[in-house]
Order: sequence, then C-alpha cells, then structure tokens
Amino acid sequence: MIFLHDKKNNLKDEYEDGNINNIGINEKEYGLKNDNNNYLSSINSNQIWLNKTFKKYYFNYFSNIIIPEKIHLREFGFRQFDGKVIRHLSFINSGELYAYLLKLSPSDIYCSSSVYGNPKESMDKKEWLGSELIFDIDGKDLELDCSIKHNYTKCFQCNFINKGVLKRCGNCNGSKLSVIDIPCKNCIFFLKKEVIKLMKFLTKDFGICSKDISIYFSGNNGFHIHVNDVNYYSLLSIERSEISSYIMGKGFKLESLGIKADKEKKFTIISKNKQFLDIGWRERISKSIKFNLSSIKNNNNDGLIKHIEKLENIWNCSFQQIVLNTLQDLSVRIDPVVTMDIHRIFRLNGTINSKSGLVKIVCKNIDEFNPFIDACFYEKLKVDIYSKVDITVFFKGRRYEINTGLNHIPEYVAVYLISKGLANINIKET
Amino acid sequence: MAIKLGTSDLAKYPFLNEASLYVKETHFDLQEFDRMEMNFILDRSFVKIENFLKNGETNYTLEKFEIEILTFLASLLILKSTSIEILTKKFALLESMRFEKYLIEDLKDSFKDERKRLVLLKIFNEVFKINIYLEKIVNEYYKIKVVDYVKRSVHFHEEEWKLINRSVKDGYVYLNANEIVRLFRNELSLLIVEKVKNMKLATFPNQVINKSQKLKSYWETVNRTYNINYGPKKSVTPPCIQHLYDSIENGENLPHSARLLLATFLLFSGKSIEDIIDVFKKLPDFKENITRYQLEHLSGKKGGSKKYFVPSCEKIKLEELCYQTNVCKGVINPIQLLKKN
Repeated sequence: MIFLHDKKNNLKDEYEDGNINNIGINEKEYGLKNDNNNYLSSINSNQIWLNKTFKKYYFNYFSNIIIPEKIHLREFGFRQFDGKVIRHLSFINSGELYAYLLKLSPSDIYCSSSVYGNPKESMDKKEWLGSELIFDIDGKDLELDCSIKHNYTKCFQCNFINKGVLKRCGNCNGSKLSVIDIPCKNCIFFLKKEVIKLMKFLTKDFGICSKDISIYFSGNNGFHIHVNDVNYYSLLSIERSEISSYIMGKGFKLESLGIKADKEKKFTIISKNKQFLDIGWRERISKSIKFNLSSIKNNNNDGLIKHIEKLENIWNCSFQQIVLNTLQDLSVRIDPVVTMDIHRIFRLNGTINSKSGLVKIVCKNIDEFNPFIDACFYEKLKVDIYSKVDITVFFKGRRYEINTGLNHIPEYVAVYLISKGLANINIKET
Repeated sequence: MAIKLGTSDLAKYPFLNEASLYVKETHFDLQEFDRMEMNFILDRSFVKIENFLKNGETNYTLEKFEIEILTFLASLLILKSTSIEILTKKFALLESMRFEKYLIEDLKDSFKDERKRLVLLKIFNEVFKINIYLEKIVNEYYKIKVVDYVKRSVHFHEEEWKLINRSVKDGYVYLNANEIVRLFRNELSLLIVEKVKNMKLATFPNQVINKSQKLKSYWETVNRTYNINYGPKKSVTPPCIQHLYDSIENGENLPHSARLLLATFLLFSGKSIEDIIDVFKKLPDFKENITRYQLEHLSGKKGGSKKYFVPSCEKIKLEELCYQTNVCKGVINPIQLLKKN
C-alpha cells in the first residue's frame, strides 16, 4: 500500500501498487442525496472550470515547476479531476513531462523523492537507488486553538458545511465528516516557527548546508523541507526514522544531561568528561532551562541537588517534568511517516495543490513568505461563484468578505473557495 | 598521509590487507601447513577455536606477528574445510571480540600517540569504509558522521544508542573508544565471515583436513540434541518467524529486535523456556545463562511479573523483519496466524 502525501484528507488516497483505482467521493458509500441532480452537476461544472483554470496556469507558468535532478530516474504520479490516479510514470526530460501534463490535465502532479533504476516498474522491481531527505510540517499536527474556530467541517451524509471543527454534523448529526482547513495568519506564523526550528536542527546538529535545503509551501496548510545532501541519500526507512525521532525529541534519557536519578529521585552527576560535550539536545535543553552542570564545583552532588531544587521551585514541577516540557517546546512537529517512507511520491514543486488551488512554491525568505500572495498565480479577472458559507479571506493583500450565495470575485479567490469545496462556479448560460 | 603498519599492528589485526600482502610476499604456500614445523600453528588455531566453542574463552596473548598471521590464516582454512557456516560465524564472533579489545586499547592510546592514531584511521577506513576524527576539544573522544552512526546504531536496542541520546554537532556524533568499537563489532564479525566465504581452494592441506574433521565431529556431537520440531512449517509459522528460524539454521547472528520477536512469539505459542533455549543455542554468541535470564524476564517469571507481548506487524515492519506473504492479509500481529491455524 502506498500513500500519497496528502494522506490526512478524509478522501483517503490509498490504493494498490500498479492499479488505477477510482478515488474520490463515493456518493453511494456516503449516501449522498441527489437533489434534482444539482449536486452532481455542480461537481462537474467545478471540475471543468478548475481543469480549464489549472491548464491555464501550467501553460503560462510552466517555468515555476522545478524539474528534479535525474528526472528520468524518478517516478511520477498524476491525479485527474475524476479522482483517478496514475502512478509509475516516467519522463526522459521536462519536455516530455510538459507534453503529458497538457494532454492529461491533471488536478495534481506528484514526483518521487527517490531515484530508481526502473521507475516505471512496480515497487518491488523499481530498484531503489537513493532518496532525498524530506520533512513535512502540517498545520493539522500543530493542533492550534484558532483552527477549531476558522476551519469548516463538511458532512458527507447531508452535504452540509459546518463552521468550526465538529465531531457531529450540526445539521443531521452524522459522523461521516471531513475537516476543511482554512489556515489563518496565526496558523502560518506557527508553521513558519516550526520550519525555522527544523532548519536549526538540520544546519547546527546535522551539519547540512543551507544551500542543500529547500523550503516549499505545500500548497495548502504546511511546508515541505527537502534536503538534497548526498550523504543522506542512501539512508533506509529505519535510519530516517531515527533522524525524525531526534528532531521530534523522542526517546530522550535524563542521563544524556549528565545526571541520573535513582528510585528515590536523588540526583547524581555521571560522566564527568562528557560535561564538556555540551552540544546537541543537551545544549538545547540546558540553555533553555538554565541547567548548568559545569557551574557545580568539584562535581559535588549536593551542589547538583540544590541546583535542581532551585529549578523545580522556579518551574513549579519536578525536574523530569521540566525536561519533558522543554523537549516538547524545542522539538519540531514533523510527520515522521513522511520522512521515513522512501517510496512516497510528493507534490511536484511548482505545481498546483487541488485542495486549495494554491501552488507548492519555494520559499526564498520564510519570514516574508505569504502563501496568499506568493503561492497564488491566477488572474484578477472576476468570475461568479455561489458560496455555500459566509467567509472572510485575504488574497494578495486584500480582504474579501464572501457571503452565502452569489459573489463576483477575482479568479484567484474563486479557485481557492471552489477547491476547498466551499463554493460552486456559477457559469452563466448563453 | 600514508602509514605503514608495524609488526605489532599486524599481530593484532591479521585480517588487514597488509597482513595478506605479507603472506604473498613471503611466497608462503598453503601446502606448507603439512610440514611438521607448522604443527604448532595448526594446534594453536585449533585450540583457540575449540576453547571458544566449549568454554566461551578467548585468549588475548599476542605472539610474534608472523605466528599471529599464520594462526589466523590456519583458522580460516580449518573453518572453510568444515563447511559448517555456524562454526564460521561463531569463530568470527570470537575474533571480533579479540580485535575489539586491541582496538579499544589503541584508540585510548592514540590521543597521545600520533602514529597510533594514523594506524587506526587507516584501519577504520580500510575495514569499515568510514573516516573517524579525533575530537580536539574533549579528551578521549572521536567523532564520526551522523549517517555512519545511524546506519549502525539502529540495530542496537538500548536507549543509549538512540541518536537523541548522543552528542551531535555539525553532522558528527561523538563517541569514546569503547562506544566506537562496539558500534562496529557486527561489521568486524561479518568481515571475517566474508574472508572464509571468499576462500577458493582446490585442495586443503592434509593437516588442515585432520583438524577440521576433529572439529566437525565435536560439533556434530554437541549439536545432535538440538533438533527441535518447529511444527509443520506451512500451517502455523508466520513468514517473519519462519525467516528467523531459517536465519538461525544458517548460523546467522540475529539483531536484538529479531531475538525479541522470536522469543516472545515462542513464549506465546506455548513453548517452554528450555525449548526456546535449544532454539537459541545455534546463535553464534549464545550464552545460556544470559538467554535464560532474558527469557524469564520476557515471560514475566522475573522482573516484576511484567510479561512482554509479541510485537505488532507495524513494529516488525519498522525493524525490517517483515517478510509478509498472502497469509498475512488482514493480520496485524503474527500471533493471529497461530490462532487462525
């Protein structure tokens, strides 16, 4: 079973190797009502319109697509608007990719982080040659308080869109729900914070050059960080898992701070010589909680105990809890499954994320990056949409108040709302 | 900077290329082992192997480098002649433990002895294909690249080996002499197994054959009692467990995670501790008292009555021990196959 990167969508992207499965909303399964066929026909109109709009983007902005090194050794995957996914594709050069892209007009384009001897073959015959090291920081994993308020929840039973994140539909009490992410400024701020934390781990701890690290906005509610350092290419899944555990602060032992606690929680100093190796996580934690082992003269255990008691008074909890809390604050909330899966295919850099209509784009300056300006490539020309909700969005520095019903708005806002399932295109009949 | 190994280096590390070169340059013919003067070399090799197999003992006394090199060569020949892979693996473990001891001592001395440091760098580079660097800020520490560390440490079960519990900076992990050598123990052992595997001989010297036959009959006597009926292979054994059985039969050393899986599975399937000890006896580094202690803990008989459960398929996959087939469909733990059958 291979998972596409956007695995967290309730439209589960799960299928057998080599098979083309129809993936999308299964109306029969979810018992969707056909309200005079309007629902189904609006899906089709949306698909047609988005298809046309995405095609326009690729025609005008193909240069945005970052053609990966050794393209001929990569596996590509295309998802079409009807939900069909085609994997195990391979292209000799960018020209071939472009021609295929225009021919097939996919909603999403994916590319492997790995290079293979036979990228077209099934997974067991591909002959894996190595992979970039990839990290995924997703807004869902941050569990921010604001997201409960500004996200929406779609019910698959009655098709109602609820404001906020709910466990039951406010309309029919159904439980077959899907969360629609509408990241706000706060979400983007905290996502960037995680990215910056990750960069410090990669450069300071792992010694990876900044020029070998690329930060991409995922196109929806997160960031992808690609490491193209040849030293890490040959790492297997279990080894990548070790790297992600390090970054996530998993498995840290108190002894790594140079002290140990017995059953009665009495602390003693260990590894006298290791005190000088105040680096990595040890340095990080020690600096954060102001734990200074080298300040204790002559490695006096009484001195250590006094130092720890002082900290416990300041933080108002046990020393072990202080360390645990600090680990949580200083670690990065990455998705470890993404990092360790060497056979995963990722959204191709510079291509559209059909969940939002925004583009997975490189962030040259993470601090200044604004996805609603920098990842938005559609036109100003206005179109009509029928919005299912009242919503306020910000695009290209402007605020747009959208009301339920008919709205006349720029194409770039329309793409976003329709891709999110919050609106339908309103095509005037001639 | 190129460094030539000294005679004491060759005595301690006879598996190095320079040791093989010495043999070539002296035009030593393997048939010379049939000469009476070489009997003591063959006896020395045989006694070394026998002591380890019978008593788990190793001897660290070093003779002149020519004797050590020829003893090592004779040992490889004897084992090759037996064609018993388990014996080779046990011998490889014996030798790797011996070399470990010398390596640790030399690594500790290398902080004061520049020449020794260069020899060690050469050894790590030649044998393990990695570079180790002397840490200048802190005494008695070396550093290796994070990727070189992680590739090896993932096979260790203990928490202290996890990367997060190591000193990491600028792409390097800092280790003392004991830690560095422990990290490479498995590779050292595999290196020796490869040397035996790659030997190609039309005929063996007669004295070597005599020694190998003695060794063979000793091993067959000891091994006769270890036949365990694992049950009809197709009906009850999950593919991951079957693979472990096959590995043991081939004399392979299992990583800790594999041993844990096998032991917990056998315990769950109702095998007694004695039965399980008989299975593990074939492992190259088997020590009965340690195995028994660990099994008693896993079964909950000791250590606070906590019983260890069989790892899930997800965990097994993470440890790269999964060899799933069609029988595994819908299975999330190997014990389900026991129940199914």
